[in-house]
Amino acid sequence: MDSNIVGVWIAAFLTLGIMSFLYKDNPWYKFSEAIFVGLSAGYWFASLFWQSLHAKFWTNWSPAVQSLFQGQFDYNLLYTGAGILGLMMLLRLVPPIGWISRWPLSVVVGGTAGLYLINYLVSNAIRQIGSTIQPAVTFPESIGWVQSGGVIIGNVLVFAVLLVSLGFILFGRSSTIDLPTPTKLFFFLIALVACGLGTFYSLSMPLNLTGLIIFMGVFCGLIYFFFSKEHTGFFGGAATVGTWFLMVTFGASFGYTVMSRMSLLIGRIDFLLVEWLKVVK
Amino acid sequence: MNFWKALLAIDRRWIFLFVFLALAVPMFLNVDFELSISREVQGLYDALDKLQPNSKVLMSFDYDPPSAPELQPMADAIMKYCLKKRLRIIIMGLWPQGPIQANMALARAFADKNIDQSEYVYGIHYVNLGYQAGNEFVIQRMGSSFYDMFKNDYAGNRYEELPLMRGIKNFNDIDFSINFSAGYPGTVEWVQIAVDRFHVRLGAGNTAVQAPQVYPYYNSGQVVGLAGGMRGAAELEGIFAYNAETDVVYKDRGTKYMLSQTIAHAVVMFFIVVGNIAYFVIGRKDKLKTSK
Amino acid sequence: MCGLFCVWKMLKLKVAIFTLLFLLLSCFSAVAQTEEEISDTTASEEPSYRIPKLAPVTNLEVQDSPDDAGGEIELTWKLSADDTEDNGLVSKYVILRSQNRTSDFHIVGVANHQDTSYIDKGTQDGTEYYYKVVTFPKYEGEVRLTREEIDPLMDEFPEFTELGIKDVSMLAEYDRNLAAAFIDEILGISAVAGPVKSSAQWFNSKDLDTFIIGLVICTSVVIFIGLARGGRKLFLRRIGGLQAIENAIGRATEMGKSILFIPGIQDMDDVQTVAGITILGRIAKTIAEYDTKINMPVSRSIVMTTARETIKEAYLSAGRPDAYSDDMVHYITDEQFGYVAAVDGIMVREKPATCFYLGAFFAESLIMAETGNSIGAIQIAGTAMPAQLPFFVAACDYTLIGEELFAASAYLSGEPKQLGSLKGQDVGKVIAMVFIIVGTAFATLAAVTGSETFLEITNMIKSWFSA
Repeated sequence: MDSNIVGVWIAAFLTLGIMSFLYKDNPWYKFSEAIFVGLSAGYWFASLFWQSLHAKFWTNWSPAVQSLFQGQFDYNLLYTGAGILGLMMLLRLVPPIGWISRWPLSVVVGGTAGLYLINYLVSNAIRQIGSTIQPAVTFPESIGWVQSGGVIIGNVLVFAVLLVSLGFILFGRSSTIDLPTPTKLFFFLIALVACGLGTFYSLSMPLNLTGLIIFMGVFCGLIYFFFSKEHTGFFGGAATVGTWFLMVTFGASFGYTVMSRMSLLIGRIDFLLVEWLKVVK
Repeated sequence: MNFWKALLAIDRRWIFLFVFLALAVPMFLNVDFELSISREVQGLYDALDKLQPNSKVLMSFDYDPPSAPELQPMADAIMKYCLKKRLRIIIMGLWPQGPIQANMALARAFADKNIDQSEYVYGIHYVNLGYQAGNEFVIQRMGSSFYDMFKNDYAGNRYEELPLMRGIKNFNDIDFSINFSAGYPGTVEWVQIAVDRFHVRLGAGNTAVQAPQVYPYYNSGQVVGLAGGMRGAAELEGIFAYNAETDVVYKDRGTKYMLSQTIAHAVVMFFIVVGNIAYFVIGRKDKLKTSK
Repeated sequence: MCGLFCVWKMLKLKVAIFTLLFLLLSCFSAVAQTEEEISDTTASEEPSYRIPKLAPVTNLEVQDSPDDAGGEIELTWKLSADDTEDNGLVSKYVILRSQNRTSDFHIVGVANHQDTSYIDKGTQDGTEYYYKVVTFPKYEGEVRLTREEIDPLMDEFPEFTELGIKDVSMLAEYDRNLAAAFIDEILGISAVAGPVKSSAQWFNSKDLDTFIIGLVICTSVVIFIGLARGGRKLFLRRIGGLQAIENAIGRATEMGKSILFIPGIQDMDDVQTVAGITILGRIAKTIAEYDTKINMPVSRSIVMTTARETIKEAYLSAGRPDAYSDDMVHYITDEQFGYVAAVDGIMVREKPATCFYLGAFFAESLIMAETGNSIGAIQIAGTAMPAQLPFFVAACDYTLIGEELFAASAYLSGEPKQLGSLKGQDVGKVIAMVFIIVGTAFATLAAVTGSETFLEITNMIKSWFSA
């Protein structure tokens, strides 16, 4: 019998075993789970040994030591230091001097922190500030009527969301803005007129509000994650809007993940139907 | 009211069954999908299209079999395109199984009868440098020297014995870089180090889970193109099929799975909508009850 | 011009018929033209491949790439007059390099048409180089030549060798019949530019922005840590999830069930794991006081030992060191899904009353939170992995979103280092907000008024934050 066929049958048996968890916990699942856990622990051990200890340390260090005996200095001899740090890590196994293992750990944490500080600061903060700076409104050249229809509907929605947000901040149950009601109404009226004008304008000319949405999302999000001030007053309102943006983001992200999970299942079903049962070509 | 309550209390296993059927049944059908191409995928295509023949493309395969349903179709399509366009391909992986996935993509490309394997010499036209442990530190070191990280290739050949690699010292000698990523280490690390420090031009293929995290990098230009999830794979297959003007078969598994994907999404949406309606109906009735 | 273009096309056999038609047509139309024009038409009938001589690029300038680690030279030029955006005659610019002014030029790279710059990334620091740029015409179709065909061509036309066209594929793009007329009559060869040397710079002035912002944030972190150490009380706003944590432990105690704590699947070098373990310290103390059980499966060996130490310390400070056992924390496997399968199994069999997920999570987040939900456990999560937050938000009773995880950790531990870093980061956020507000305001003004000044200010602000 072809060894490949045996492999496919074992794979199918285990796939169905793991899937059976969806029905309920059962011995078949437990069996598959145990095999999976044991196998992966073993795989990781072997992989770490060969990929890290052997490939990273031994292949660099041993030739350097050999050349040292021949009277030459090789920079790879510095790996001795790494080896010592690694041994110190293992001292955890000796409880009385286990504290020594904190030293190599501090090297790892320090090095990683240094690298990450710059990476995240540049890629995820500084560059993103740059790309957030864009006009809140733009006036695109003439666009097709179908598109402009979409833009108008989108804009009206944006204005509606803006007004609802403002209303919520000013008059909502959890509103903490301490102003007399007429003042609040005055602010709301100004916003209402502005949004009305905006809507009227966007009916006659293309108006793109993408920049405004991005600005609001980033600004309110930042306020939500600002810890040096209690979330009250305007700050609290903006933070609430920030959470809405977060929730919308999470929703979009969730949708993407549903797609991803479906794809994974497609992969397994494809395996079962195409490779195992061969009922689909 | 009973109806809605029963609906909310429905055994989740029924939902599993529906989703399973929604995915499995369409596999028996053969429907050709015409997808609109998003600007992110277009960006990826344009970047590849602009490359001159013999440009050096670095492909990092940072995923393993669990993510293959999404990423393998992308890898297959891009591999075929790069070979057909006679780009020089350098393969590596930050995930242990990545280089194996790359070899599968190569095999699938060479299985296409319009790509003649005899025209491509290993070591000259393509190279598989294999896996290297060390996550983002590998990228960091590659910034100064590829050789330091890959003394041997996947098959054990020495770096300096590979004609393609002889002229390559670091990222400076790479014309374009593509990263197929399923998590950490992946696109985020490539952007942070290869793009922002060593100014590599990067395109990315991501699992759908990761895609939302990579979108900001596309908007800021740190990634020139992006294909997300199976939909991204299907779009890639589509754009190559229509624009590449070659006789290579690009429409493959990505396109084939789109029907399953679409129907399953419809089923999920149906359950979300119905579930929420039930939730609100019952919520309101319960409230009315308590207020009475 | 059009006629010449067609002759160019004529080189392909396929279009020969069309060319003939064209010639006939041009002769036909010539009848109606003046004599002068007729003589023009007859000239184009000669099979002498009169492709227009392409204009070379002008103003070719070479310089060492600034702010780099050496090995790069930057070339800039003005487009050839024939390289127009639509219907231009130029296909690409070939960059040639030599170490002497007059000969030995070799191809180092190719730039697309409409490109006005190129960076030669293969130079040796300290060596003098000379450059020229050759304008190549568009061609129709593709002719593949074999090595045997090329070698005699090289002998026949030494110009190729001189130009450095050694790459088979590049030469193969051209019809061999063209070769004779090729170099003199078609290619536009620019004047030689140079000499130039590449060198490395110590300081990358382009990253000055990063340096300044990094310095401001780091300095404020250090200052705030100093203040906190000196006994100054640093204000931190209430974190919503903390009360939920207390309640969740209380519930498990009431029900007499265990508490499951998952510190994510990353190692101790991930700051999220560190935050998770810090919160664990506080939770473990309450657990010790209430005499509740805790079960903590982990996927990293170092996390296991650190967590054991943390819990042990917490039990000690609660005055119950005897109740601590190493079995509370146990290693499963490094493999992501192997770990999840095991944790799921534990959940379904032990049915813990409360599950904590505090740390760095990947695809396992939803699988665990979903199983936890199905067994009716109270779930509290906290992670800074943006992709995983949605699942925790959907499936858990309370979620510490992103930085809230670190804030909670700082709040609970009251440690000066954590408080100081959090405060320092707030300074960073203020900087970001200020620049975003100012930048967006100017950008909007520029878009609304069309003013050049506002646009310049916007671009200046943007340039501080881009590569």
